[in-house]
Amino acid sequence: MAELALKNVVKRFGNYEIIHNASLDVADGEFVVFVGPSGCGKSTLLRMIAGLETISGGEIHIGGTIVNDVEPADRGIAMVFQSYALYPHMTVEENLAFGLRMTGNPKKDTERRVQRVADILQIKELLNRRPRQLSGGQRQRVAIGRAIVREPQVFLFDEPLSNLDAELRVQMRVEIARLHKELGATMIYVTHDQTEAMTLADKIVVLRGGNIEQIGAPLDLYDNPANQFVAGFVGSPKMNFMSGAVIEAQGQTITVALSNQGNVPITLPVENFEPRIGEKVTLGIRPEHFFKAGQGDADLTIKVDVAEHLGNTSYVYANVSSGEQIIIEREESRNESNRDTLTVAIRASNVFLFDNTGNRIR
Amino acid sequence: MQLRNRAAYGFLAPYLLIFAIFWIWPIISSFWMSFQNTRVNPWAFNPGMNWGRLFSDPAFYNALKNTMIILVIQVPVMITLATVIAVLLNSPLLKARGIFRFAFFAPVVVGEVAYAAVFRLMFNLDFGIINKLLNKIGIPSISWFAEAPFAMALLIIAVTWRWAGYNAIIILSGLQSIPEDVYEAATLDRVSKFKQFIYITLPLLRPVILFCVVLSIIGSMQLFTEPFLITNRGGPGGGTETLGLFLYRQGFASLNFGYASAIAYTMAGLAIVISLLNLWLGREPK
Repeated sequence: MAELALKNVVKRFGNYEIIHNASLDVADGEFVVFVGPSGCGKSTLLRMIAGLETISGGEIHIGGTIVNDVEPADRGIAMVFQSYALYPHMTVEENLAFGLRMTGNPKKDTERRVQRVADILQIKELLNRRPRQLSGGQRQRVAIGRAIVREPQVFLFDEPLSNLDAELRVQMRVEIARLHKELGATMIYVTHDQTEAMTLADKIVVLRGGNIEQIGAPLDLYDNPANQFVAGFVGSPKMNFMSGAVIEAQGQTITVALSNQGNVPITLPVENFEPRIGEKVTLGIRPEHFFKAGQGDADLTIKVDVAEHLGNTSYVYANVSSGEQIIIEREESRNESNRDTLTVAIRASNVFLFDNTGNRIR
Repeated sequence: MQLRNRAAYGFLAPYLLIFAIFWIWPIISSFWMSFQNTRVNPWAFNPGMNWGRLFSDPAFYNALKNTMIILVIQVPVMITLATVIAVLLNSPLLKARGIFRFAFFAPVVVGEVAYAAVFRLMFNLDFGIINKLLNKIGIPSISWFAEAPFAMALLIIAVTWRWAGYNAIIILSGLQSIPEDVYEAATLDRVSKFKQFIYITLPLLRPVILFCVVLSIIGSMQLFTEPFLITNRGGPGGGTETLGLFLYRQGFASLNFGYASAIAYTMAGLAIVISLLNLWLGREPK
C-alpha cells in the first residue's frame, strides 16, 4: 500500500490545456473520489495516474517515487474500467490470472491469488464462465477481482458503476466500501454521481473544467463549500440559489433583498465583506433548511409546481415559472399538492452567500 | 395471402423469375446433366459414365492436385500477410492512412486482363523486371512460364497480390471492433505488445479470419482467371491446370457438358467439405 501525490500536474492536448496545475495528497489507505460534471477532466487525471495518458507538466508520486516516466505496469496500480474491459474470449478464471501468467508468476501463487479473490468477491461459481455469460454486476465483480489479484499499491476506479442499474449500483457501492475496509488499500475513484462520492469517500476532490475546485471530507464539502459550484454540486437535491441585492450594510451585518422572491429582505451577519449598496449576490440554502412560516428570519411565499412524496420525505418543487426554482425537502410537506401557495421560513444561520463570481462570502 | 404480402411478392416477381431461370434451373439442370451421356444425340441417361470417368481420369487428378497445392500454400500465406497488413494499417503511427488502405485494396478493382498482362511482362524470361532483379543479386533468370513449379509459384504470387489487400481490409474491420480498453487492461497487467497480439488480438480476430479463410478456399477452388491468362491456359503442359480450368476445357472446349457438370459438383462439394472442416477446426472452445 502506498500514498500518492500530484504536484502541479498539467495535461495538454496540443495547445489545449485540459488539466491545470492539479495538486493533491492521498494518504496511505485513503479512499479518494474525483467528482465533477462530464468533461471536467476527472477521468483524464485518473488515466494520467495510471500512466495511460502522458503528463505534460508537474509530477506524480506513488509510494514516494516520481512515476512520470514509469511504465503503467510498473507503477503498482490496478485499474477498473467503466466498460469492465474483460477479455471476452477468456473464462473468469483466465481473466483473473492472465496478467500473472503472462509475467511468469509461479503457478501455485497465481492459483492461490485467484482463489482468494474468488472468495473475497464470492465469484467461485463463475470461474469457468465467459464474460458474455455474466450479468453486469458479475462482470463488474470480475473486473474488480482482476485488479485485486495484482495486489497493487493503489486501486483506480473509472466510473465503475455507471453501466449498472440503480439497485445494483447501490449494492456494488456497499461492496466497494466493504472491500476498501477489508483490503485497506489506497483507492482513487472517479464518478459523476455525487451520492457515490458522498457515501464512499474519505476525501472528495471536486473538479470543474480541469481545475480542482475543492478538496475535503464529504461532510466538510457539504457544510462548508468553497464556492457556488461546489455548493451546487454536492448534495442531492441540490442547493437552492436565489439572486439578491444588498440593500443595507451596517458593520458586520448586511440586508439582502431576494430579487426573484418578491424582494423579501433577510439580514445576515458577514465577516470581511464590504459591499456596495445594490451589489448583486446569490443566496444559497439547502432543501432541508426550510421551516414553517414565522419560525425563521424571513418568510417566503412560493407557488408549488410539483410535489413528490417519497413516503419518508417529500420534495416540493416551487417557483419554476419565475426562473428560480426552489426545492424544499420536509416531512410535513406530505399534504401539499400542485398549485398550492405555501409560506416557508428560512434562517440566516443556514444561508450561504456568494458574490457574483461564485466565490463564497459566508 | 394478405394484400400487402401479395403486393410485395408482385414487386419481387421479376427478380424471382430471373433468379429461378438463371440460377436455380442451371443448378438443378447441371446436376441432372452430370448423369447424362452428353456425347450422343439425344443425350442418354448413364450415371456411371461421367462420375466413373472422373475418378479414373489422370487429368482430373492433375487439376485437383494443382488446385490443392495452391490452396494449401496460397491461403495460409495470404491470410498471414493480410493480418500483418491489417495490423500495420491499424497502427496509430501510420500517416496517410486512407491512401495506404486504398492502395492495398486497389488490386481487386484492377481489370483481370490488365493485371494478367502486367504479370506476364514482369515475369518474362528475357526482359521481365523480376528476372532482372534476381540477376542483380546473382540469381540466374528463371523460366517462369516453362517450368511447372515456377509457373505454380507465379500463380500463387499473383493471386496473393490480388487478394491480400482485400482480406486485409476485412481483417482491419475486425481489428477495429476490438475495444481499446482491453489493450489498456492488458498493458496494466504487464502483458507485452507481442503477447497482447498473440493472446488477445488473434483470438478475438478468429471469426473474421475464419471468414476470410472460407472465402479464400471457395475462391481457390474456382481459380480460373490466373491460370487461363497468366500461365497461358494452365501451362506448361497442364502444370498449372486447376479444377476451374479443367471444367472450362471439358465444358466449353470439348463441349462435354455432362462431364463438366460432374466436375462442377465435385468442386462445390470439395469447397463445402474443406470450409466446414475449417469452421469445425476453428470453432470457439466451449
